[in-house]
Amino acid sequence: MGSAVLTLLEIQIAVRAGILDNGNATVSATLGDALAPADRLSIYRNTSRTALINVLRLNFPVVHRLVGEGFFATAADTYITHEPPHTAWLDLYGEAFPEFLQSFEPAAALSYLPDVARLERAVGRALHAVDAEPLEYSQLLDIVPSARGRVRFTPHPSVSLVFSPYPVDAIWRAVLARDDPALAAIDLSAGSVRLLVERRAGEVDVTRMDEQRWKFTEALFAGDPLSTALVLADNPGAVAWLAAHFTAGHLSDFALSNTETLVPAERAQ
Amino acid sequence: MFGATDRYSSLIPAKAGIGLRFQHHQAVLDTRPDIAWMEVHTENYMGGGSPIRCLEAIRCDIPISLHGVGLSLGSAEGLDQAHLDRIRQVAERIEPDLMSEHIAWSVSGGTYLADLLPLPMTEEALAVVCRHVDQVQSTLGRRILVENPSTYMQFWHSTIPEWEFMAAVAVRTGCGILCDVNNIYVSAINHGWNPLAYLTALPPDAVGEIHLAGHTVRQLADGGTVRIDDHASRVCGEVWSLYEAALLRFGPLPTLIEWDQNVPALDVLLDEARRADALIDVTSDGVRRADAA
Repeated sequence: MGSAVLTLLEIQIAVRAGILDNGNATVSATLGDALAPADRLSIYRNTSRTALINVLRLNFPVVHRLVGEGFFATAADTYITHEPPHTAWLDLYGEAFPEFLQSFEPAAALSYLPDVARLERAVGRALHAVDAEPLEYSQLLDIVPSARGRVRFTPHPSVSLVFSPYPVDAIWRAVLARDDPALAAIDLSAGSVRLLVERRAGEVDVTRMDEQRWKFTEALFAGDPLSTALVLADNPGAVAWLAAHFTAGHLSDFALSNTETLVPAERAQ
Repeated sequence: MFGATDRYSSLIPAKAGIGLRFQHHQAVLDTRPDIAWMEVHTENYMGGGSPIRCLEAIRCDIPISLHGVGLSLGSAEGLDQAHLDRIRQVAERIEPDLMSEHIAWSVSGGTYLADLLPLPMTEEALAVVCRHVDQVQSTLGRRILVENPSTYMQFWHSTIPEWEFMAAVAVRTGCGILCDVNNIYVSAINHGWNPLAYLTALPPDAVGEIHLAGHTVRQLADGGTVRIDDHASRVCGEVWSLYEAALLRFGPLPTLIEWDQNVPALDVLLDEARRADALIDVTSDGVRRADAA
C-alpha cells in the first residue's frame, strides 16, 4: 500500500482481517501506514474475542460445563474465526456450533457433545426467538375439506425438535442442576430420544415424544403437506396430535401447497 | 424550568439513571428502586420471550432509553437494514424516551466484529456517519443521540479533531450528542489531548445525555500504559471532576451510570447514581445563582 491514504472501506477490510486473523502479515503492513501505534489493534482483537467467546459460553452453558473452560475457549475461538457473527443481535449466535463440534477433532471422544449443543441451540431459540402470533384452528375453517390435506404449516420460531441417540435431555438437566450423581448415573446406551423444545409462559420446556408422534411432528414442522404427515404418522391419534400443536401454539402460519404429496420423501435423522 | 433534555425528550429528567442488565430485572421488578430512568442495550431485547416482556413491565413505571451498540454508523459499506428494522421494532414496543448509538464501526463485509472500532477522523468518515445518522433518524422518525468513542489508537491521516467531528455530525444531521465523560477522559489520556478542552469544544445545545463509567489502566508490552474503557468498576475521581465541569458547562442533564462487566449488586449502581444526582443538584444551584447575578 505504500504511503497512499487508504479509503474507509480499505481500512475496515484490513482491520476486520486483523481482528479475525491475528497473524496476517499483510494486514500489519497495510495498517502500519495508517495507525498510530499499530500494535494497539490487538486490544480491539482481544475485546472482540472475549466478548464473542462469552456469548457462546452463555448460549451453550452445558457444553461449557461438560468440557471445561480451557477446552471451551479453544473450541469457541476456532469457531469464531471460521463462523463470525453476521449481526449484532447475538442471542442466537452459534447456530452452526453443534456441527462445528461434530468435526472438531479434540472433541471426537465426546460423541454426545454435538447433540447436547443441538439441544442448547433449540433451548436458545425457545428463550430468544422473536415473538409470533400462534395460528388458531379457526383460521383453517375456510379451507374446503377436500383441500385440507394440502395445508403446509410454519412452526412457531421458538419451537424445535431434537433427535439424539443419547439421552441428551438427562445430561442437560443434570449439568444445569449441577447434579453430579445424576450425571454419573446416566447410561449413554439407554436409547435414543426425540425431543420437543418450546417456550411456555416464558420458560423453556423440553419433553420427550414417542417415535410416531415425533415423525408426524417433524413432517409438520418441515412444512410437508398435512396429508404427508398423516401418512407418516400412520396412527388414528394423529388428528389429536395436530389439535395439541394448535393448543400449545406450536404453529404460526400456513399455506396451501399445489399438490398433495402422498409418498413422503426419505428424511435423514 | 427548561432543562437541556427537553429538546429530545419530555420524560427523561435531568437526573441520574442506571444501565439495566438482566441480572437486575427481578430485583427491579420486586423492589421498584427509586431511580429516575434506566438505559438498556437495544440488542439485548431484539428477541421475543421474557426479556422484552420484562422490559415492557419495567417501562410502565420507569422511563427507558434505548442505547444501541451494533448498528455500526461508521461502516463504509452502508447500514444493515435488517438490524435497523430490529431497532425500530424494539422502539415500537418499548416507546423509549431517548435513543442513541455510537460514533464507531463494528461491521465489515457483513461480519459483526463485536467491538466499537475507531474511525479515522476524515471528511470521508464524517460524510458516511452523517448519511447513516440521517437514515436512522428518518427510519425511526425521531432524533437520536450519538456517543463520542473511547479509543486506543489513531489514524495518521485523520484531519479533524474528534470534538469537531462530533460537533459537525450534530450540526449536519440535527442529532444530539451523548457526551460520555469517561470516554473523553480515556481517549484524552491515551492520545495526549486536554479533556477539558474537548468538553469545551462540544456545542452545549446539542448535548442531551451524559454517560459515566469506570475504566482500567493496562500495561503494554512496549512499557507504555493504555486506559481501557471496560465499564467494570466505579467511576474514578478524575472522571467525577470532569463530569462536574460538564454539568457547569451544559447544565443539568440525564446522566447514566454504566456498568457492563463484573456487574455489582443493584445497590452499588444506585449509590453511584446518588453521587451523580448530588453533583447535578450542586452544579444546577451554582448555575442558577450565576444566572440570577
